[in-house]
Amino acid sequence: MALIEFVKNAIDFLSAPQYLVTGALIGLVLAIHWRPIWTPKGGAVLFALLAGGIGLSYLDPNFNKVATLPDNVPIVGMIFLVGFFFWFSMTQAYANDRRIAEGRPPFEGEDSAQKVFSWPDLVYVELICLVIVMAVMIVWSIYLKAPLEEPANPTDSPNPAKAPWYFLGLQEMLVYFDPWLAGVAFPSIIIVGLMAIPYIDTNPKGNGYFTFRERRWEITIFLTGFLVLWCMLIVLGTFLRGPNWNFFGPYEFWDVNKLVPLNNINLSEIIWIKVLKRSLPNFWLIREMFGLAVVGFYVAALPLVFSKTLLRRFYEKMDPVRYFIGVSLALMMLALPIKMYLRWIFNLKYIVAIPEFAFNI
Amino acid sequence: MASRWRDLQQSIVSSQFWKSIFRVGIPNTNRKRVLAMLGNVVLHLHPVKTRKSGVKMRYTWCAGGVTFFLFLVLTFTGLLLMFYYRPTVEYAFVDILDLREQVPFGIMREVHRWGAHAMVISVWIHMFRVFMTGSYKPPREFNWVIGVILLVLTLLLSFTGYLLPWDQLAIWAITVGSNMASATPLLGIQGPGTSLLKIGDIQLVTSTNDARFGLLGGRFVGAGALLRFYVLHCVGIPLIAAFLMAVHFWRVRKDGGISGPV
Amino acid sequence: MSTAPETLPSSPPDVALDGVTRRSTLKWMVLAWTGFAAATGAGLTATVRFLFPNVLFEPPTRFKAGDPSSYALGVDERWKEKYGIWIVRDTNSIYALVAVCVHLGCTPNWLQAQNKFKCPCHGSGYYVSGINFEGPAPRPLERAQIEVSGEDGQIIVDKAFRYLYERGQWSDPKAFVKMA
Repeated sequence: MALIEFVKNAIDFLSAPQYLVTGALIGLVLAIHWRPIWTPKGGAVLFALLAGGIGLSYLDPNFNKVATLPDNVPIVGMIFLVGFFFWFSMTQAYANDRRIAEGRPPFEGEDSAQKVFSWPDLVYVELICLVIVMAVMIVWSIYLKAPLEEPANPTDSPNPAKAPWYFLGLQEMLVYFDPWLAGVAFPSIIIVGLMAIPYIDTNPKGNGYFTFRERRWEITIFLTGFLVLWCMLIVLGTFLRGPNWNFFGPYEFWDVNKLVPLNNINLSEIIWIKVLKRSLPNFWLIREMFGLAVVGFYVAALPLVFSKTLLRRFYEKMDPVRYFIGVSLALMMLALPIKMYLRWIFNLKYIVAIPEFAFNI
Repeated sequence: MASRWRDLQQSIVSSQFWKSIFRVGIPNTNRKRVLAMLGNVVLHLHPVKTRKSGVKMRYTWCAGGVTFFLFLVLTFTGLLLMFYYRPTVEYAFVDILDLREQVPFGIMREVHRWGAHAMVISVWIHMFRVFMTGSYKPPREFNWVIGVILLVLTLLLSFTGYLLPWDQLAIWAITVGSNMASATPLLGIQGPGTSLLKIGDIQLVTSTNDARFGLLGGRFVGAGALLRFYVLHCVGIPLIAAFLMAVHFWRVRKDGGISGPV
Repeated sequence: MSTAPETLPSSPPDVALDGVTRRSTLKWMVLAWTGFAAATGAGLTATVRFLFPNVLFEPPTRFKAGDPSSYALGVDERWKEKYGIWIVRDTNSIYALVAVCVHLGCTPNWLQAQNKFKCPCHGSGYYVSGINFEGPAPRPLERAQIEVSGEDGQIIVDKAFRYLYERGQWSDPKAFVKMA
């Protein structure tokens, strides 16, 4: 019993956002290079661990309470589906890489040389898929009632009030960024950035078949965004954010009265008051000049600096327009983990805080 | 007995009525397989011959097909729900209760809600597959762009539908979500720089003309918002999505076929 | 290996055919397309404007909140349910706080024991004055216009007019009622 409690407490502790995000970022980069996972045997072990872990967790009353809420059931499903397809795609990518290394075409290349009649080969595959999906939908709908809470009451906010689950990644960003960034600017950048992918990525290889070796960078960046900064934040927002948007471990009771000190300070306060030992200047431009300089450097100068140093290889391979758009989008994506770490390490609230125009970064 | 059965079958299949519908008959020869695909308005979404890589589940995961099928399921169940549901503050909640308690085979709302969740997940998995196979690369770039718009429309469809039950879950999710619109730079009342837009002492952007007001048709999530979201959910977004899906499927055929190297 | 006859000019001369010249065609084209763009723009503007109604069927924003003397020191929640307003009385004034969190529009709760307003959605906390001190809220709560009626001496609150701390508006004479 004591051992179980110890494991539970350890998991509660380690699933705090700072460890979860760090672990996921490092784990992802290590995992996609660790071949033994991307085999049927490795997949079976991973599946057993995931299913066993989640299955056993249902025995915990606090976990059970959150995970069996009707609207949270699809997210448990999403964990398995996204996890499975992640493993499946990487396994096929490694299998293809082996073939390509041996000088053979990828599986898809071999198959695409032949053509089959759409009737019956394609039409029946589709029909079988549809029948299975419909059967799953009906069984799911019979066994799980759609949620319906109290009638709407505009003067009584539930605690916690959550956005629909697919926007919980954005809501998690709201902890670190103001609504104009987390709710307007970043979603727009995500959409535009996704649309821009085919025009930025000029790598002619890996067109139409699974491969990892030929597209290392593209896949690493995309998986970081999709798996860690989107899917994992949704899981975090669903299962680990409780009353008052406080963090709760998976086996922790959702205590409404849990007190978490939130004494975050702005960069201007750190520099002017703590470092320079002076009072804050009144004029916003002088008060915020350090923050504005940092943000300006990050947005405008960093792509230029990288083009001469760290990412020189990319700069020379891509043309300048593609390089600058691509690097700017990647920096925007990285802005989220960077701000997260600044919050966790320095309790930083805003890098730039100009409440005079509601402009906070 | 068997011969009589065959006779009956033969007389049905060779009747004028049957032949007027199914021109080709059972597609048991290659010629008939071609004609079956060409002669059917639904099937001719597909080419008569597909590359083997486009047929195999291990490459396609059928995620796009499942997404489209779920869209059809949602259209059908949504239409049925519309027979009972009235988008007013007064009736919305009780109509949902009714759908659950009184209407025969009252799982339509469940199929609709879980189908919506499943569609969001399947459209992500479809995007994931297309990325991992590099199927956005030339000549398929523009179809990826359309796909991203369809992904956004799927999320918007689900988001607008979230308000309709008019329960606590609905109103607060939409309150939190729509409040972000009021943080739009220069267009939302709480957005950065909005307070600078003024003539003399008069603010140009107020709570009755900012971006959030246009979305909700009111200063808060109330009757106007419910009606607007209902219309967008049932008519506006589905029409746009259906049109873009047609373009998407068309481009799949024109830009190198389902999955596989180009 | 060009076999083009040398007599053919490189471009046709700008000759008038029934009075139509290249220049006049261009002029009409520009005019037509400008007209088309203007009409399309006007149509789109009208459509967008259509989404912003002139008349709102929302509850009135202005209400009578009783006699000033009926408020004891502290936060009064009697109008929260109906109008979303807290009336707060401190030692020398009464003011009306709008019960909408400035973060994302949830309704905060007044926690008497901890002497603060706390938003359940994302944990923003405000002092009795409405000033934010914890959580993601970027600015203080808004105050509504408040005045004493000249007719019957009752307090009149109007939510349509807001006073914002960060713009220095809380010292506006209509942002509070002076109490002796």
